[in-house]
Amino acid sequence: MADPMKIRANVVGDTTEVKVLMSHEMETGQRKDAQGKTIPAWHIQTVNATWNGKTVLSAQWGPAVAKNPFLSFKFKGGAKGDKVQITWTDTRGDTRTDEATIG
Amino acid sequence: MPRSRRSDMRRMGALPLVALAWAMSATAANGPAVGKFGLGKPATSAEIAGWDIDVRPDGAGLPKGRGSVAQGQDIYDARCASCHGTFGESNSYLQIAGGVGTLASDQPIRTTGSKLNHATTLFDYIRRAMPSDNPQSLAADEVYALTAYVLNLNDILPADAALDADSLPKVKMPNRDGFTTAHGFLRRDGKPDTANVACMVNCTTEVRLSSEMPAYALGVHGDLAEQRRATVAIEGLKTTGAVPDAPKPAAGLDSAKRLGCLACHGVDGSGVGPAFRDVAARYRGDGSPSHVPDAEARLLAKVKTGGSGVWGPVPMPGQPQVAEADARAVIQWILSGAR
Repeated sequence: MADPMKIRANVVGDTTEVKVLMSHEMETGQRKDAQGKTIPAWHIQTVNATWNGKTVLSAQWGPAVAKNPFLSFKFKGGAKGDKVQITWTDTRGDTRTDEATIG
Repeated sequence: MPRSRRSDMRRMGALPLVALAWAMSATAANGPAVGKFGLGKPATSAEIAGWDIDVRPDGAGLPKGRGSVAQGQDIYDARCASCHGTFGESNSYLQIAGGVGTLASDQPIRTTGSKLNHATTLFDYIRRAMPSDNPQSLAADEVYALTAYVLNLNDILPADAALDADSLPKVKMPNRDGFTTAHGFLRRDGKPDTANVACMVNCTTEVRLSSEMPAYALGVHGDLAEQRRATVAIEGLKTTGAVPDAPKPAAGLDSAKRLGCLACHGVDGSGVGPAFRDVAARYRGDGSPSHVPDAEARLLAKVKTGGSGVWGPVPMPGQPQVAEADARAVIQWILSGAR
């Protein structure tokens, strides 16, 4: 199981800004190791964010996203105390879900 | 007071008295001048206390106060996050979280969490230098809170932790025993500081300036002093006269060249056979720790009958045609250090 994400969500006016720091190797599948063998791809493929169960962001990621990705997005709505939930799934089928409370 | 200023005052009549009185009061307010040059004043204890803010690994120097991770988050978001990133993940040297365990890899990430060996250093740094736009503006409680929060960003402290002068020195950093300085500080790939070592024994007490020219350049352009317009005495080397003889190569080296030893041996470099200076170091005939008794006789035997195995797989063929006097000259030269 991967390390937990760090999530921060703040509401300003009618908009909620969410910042997420994920912990992932994000191996592109194009690098070679010291022996010249290709290091197999291993990166996050899909990211889903929900607010009180409703999807507010859905993304498909490729190998171009850097290691330990930082994601920031805004959505309309949200109130203090609401839950924001982020889920990612990587190429190995691993998945991780973390939750934060909007502050 | 400069002369022009004084003459101005004379011309201005009554005004100088006022100016003079002001100047005297200013001197009195600054306290008595000290030292050889009559400049400056002794530092007051309050001033010294303001400068003396260092914190040591054992916690000596820590002020009173207490701050929690939660308090630190509020201060961090307001004062720090714009440069360091919400999670301390900002690029380059502003990154203060993450990278633990990468220092020995080929892509080291030096952050507060990954490189520091003492948590007190983090406290000292924040208190001394942060926030960058207004250093030393934070109260002790705020510095404790920020220290706790940055350690929390690095997963070193739990989210409900708080720090004070007792608990801060007890925080164990991941890189406790691995702190290095042999790398750049402001850039990950930067150059390190120069490691200067202060001379403690047999130091040069007097600096002497001198002129030097390589021997081959002396006299090439005649007397350089004559070619200059002499407005003041010209100092330096005389460049007239014959070019002094370059130091003669040692007789032993001459013999070694003549006998063809240099086909396989270098004097101080690589070759098929061992370099002469390496041989000198191994067989040193001067009674030093690596001294080999009868070094000269042993080497003479090697020259005559050859040898193998001492310096690697390539054997040295025997050289019975070499006259003993020639061989001795070369060997003595080698044993004297092959200079």
